[in-house]
Amino acid sequence: MNWVAGGFIFRRTESVYHRLDPRVKLLLSILLFTLAIISRSILELLGIIAFVLVLSEIAKILRRVSRTMVFTMGFAAFIFVLNYLIGKNLLLSVLYAARFVAIVVTTSLFFITTSPDELEQVMNAFHLPRDIVFAFVTAVRFIPVMLMDALQIMDAQKSRGLEMQKGNLVRRVRNMVPVLIPLVVNSVIRSGELAEAMESRAYGAVARPTSLNLYRSSLVDRVVSVVAVVLFALAVYAFYFVFPTQLL
Amino acid sequence: MIEFKDVTFVHPTGTTALDHVSLTIGDGEALAVVGENGAGKTTLIKHITGLLKPTSGAVLVDGEDSRERTTAELSKKVGVAFQNPDHQLFSENVEEEIAFALRNFGFGEELVKQRVDWAINFFGLEEYRRSSPLTLSGGEKKRLTIACILSWDPGVVVLDEPTVGQDVIQKEKLSEIIRMLKSAGKTVIVVSHDIEFLWPMQTRVVVMSRGRVIADGPAAELMLQRETLASARVSQPQLVALYQALKNRPPAPFVHVHDARNWIAGLVK
Repeated sequence: MNWVAGGFIFRRTESVYHRLDPRVKLLLSILLFTLAIISRSILELLGIIAFVLVLSEIAKILRRVSRTMVFTMGFAAFIFVLNYLIGKNLLLSVLYAARFVAIVVTTSLFFITTSPDELEQVMNAFHLPRDIVFAFVTAVRFIPVMLMDALQIMDAQKSRGLEMQKGNLVRRVRNMVPVLIPLVVNSVIRSGELAEAMESRAYGAVARPTSLNLYRSSLVDRVVSVVAVVLFALAVYAFYFVFPTQLL
Repeated sequence: MIEFKDVTFVHPTGTTALDHVSLTIGDGEALAVVGENGAGKTTLIKHITGLLKPTSGAVLVDGEDSRERTTAELSKKVGVAFQNPDHQLFSENVEEEIAFALRNFGFGEELVKQRVDWAINFFGLEEYRRSSPLTLSGGEKKRLTIACILSWDPGVVVLDEPTVGQDVIQKEKLSEIIRMLKSAGKTVIVVSHDIEFLWPMQTRVVVMSRGRVIADGPAAELMLQRETLASARVSQPQLVALYQALKNRPPAPFVHVHDARNWIAGLVK
């Protein structure tokens, strides 16, 4: 479980990609995400995934993105089987499964390389309400904490004879109850404690608090943004006019 | 009997949590495991129930290799009360909470009822029988988690940081429970860095540091070794420090405050 989560959670790493303005990283992920949505060919999707892997290598997170992909494969296989059983179209089923993988890796690229602080800055840049930004960023920050809680709860319940992988699907789902209830209860207690701690540290005292770090786009950020938009436009042109084939 | 045979455990992240640990814990023995945070204490006990499997070496519980047994199988012999009761309590009421493990282990309903009644009475939880475990106080939750474990009568009882968040009265109650377990012939393993809580029990003590066992012996001898303890960031019990500070002192360290008081009163006279 920890191994899987490593493929989704931000960890501080020193790389050119990590140093980019978070708004540029968001732009890159949005452009790749959009390409994954509009692509109509398996080869195009494989090209997008390959491009994400190249970016991951630059960001020194190739192994972690690979974990994300491995984790995604199970769901992708499910999507493939479901589509094949309904539509009886092999290539279309592969396309949907590949699209799912592409969507997940493009979004995970952003979340793995963007710290919660940067995420907050990005959301503030869009002038979203402060409370919503705070709630969202806090939720992201607490994912690793909840993961550790879940692991400890699972250990405690296994030590009381709970065999989570035993039985049929219904039994396995029921086996999750002794883990989920303490997890939810702990999260609710923690959120109450956090709210009290925030209020005691003057959260909400001023309408527009200042920020410790202000992001200003560097030349590199601007160049990367322009190149990304140009490449995106070329890719869209290629998808629809140069290789207008379907599926493969 | 629990045997650690040259056990090394390396986390998937590459951190070595146990480094060539060899340890034998006899039946009916009381053992305290001390050491700073990250010394490997919790990793050690997770090996006893098979929650973690050694990277190299072997852990034998009553001669059975932990790698060949599931946690559920080993837990029937080894009951572990983890540090935070909120990490395990989930049932509708106290009765159901205690019955949870008994049903997992396949006890019949009649036996489940008998064991639940015994545990509730023994730990003084009668008035909370139908209450939600989540509404209990910190000390009551702790007692309930230990009641849950003792209900299936494991031969080995492991208490992980039992004193965290407990007031003085609750600590006294915990001491009584541990004394009772010892007198009932259970193997008791207490993992803690609350040295003042452990000292009066006069158990065997294992000192851990950076995944290694750096000292192992009776509390009365080991707690005199100030430098060994300091290297594991463990402080001496205050009564031992006082004993060593005295020029005119008895042959053995003070175990209880009244021992020290009587001795010093004799000196003053």
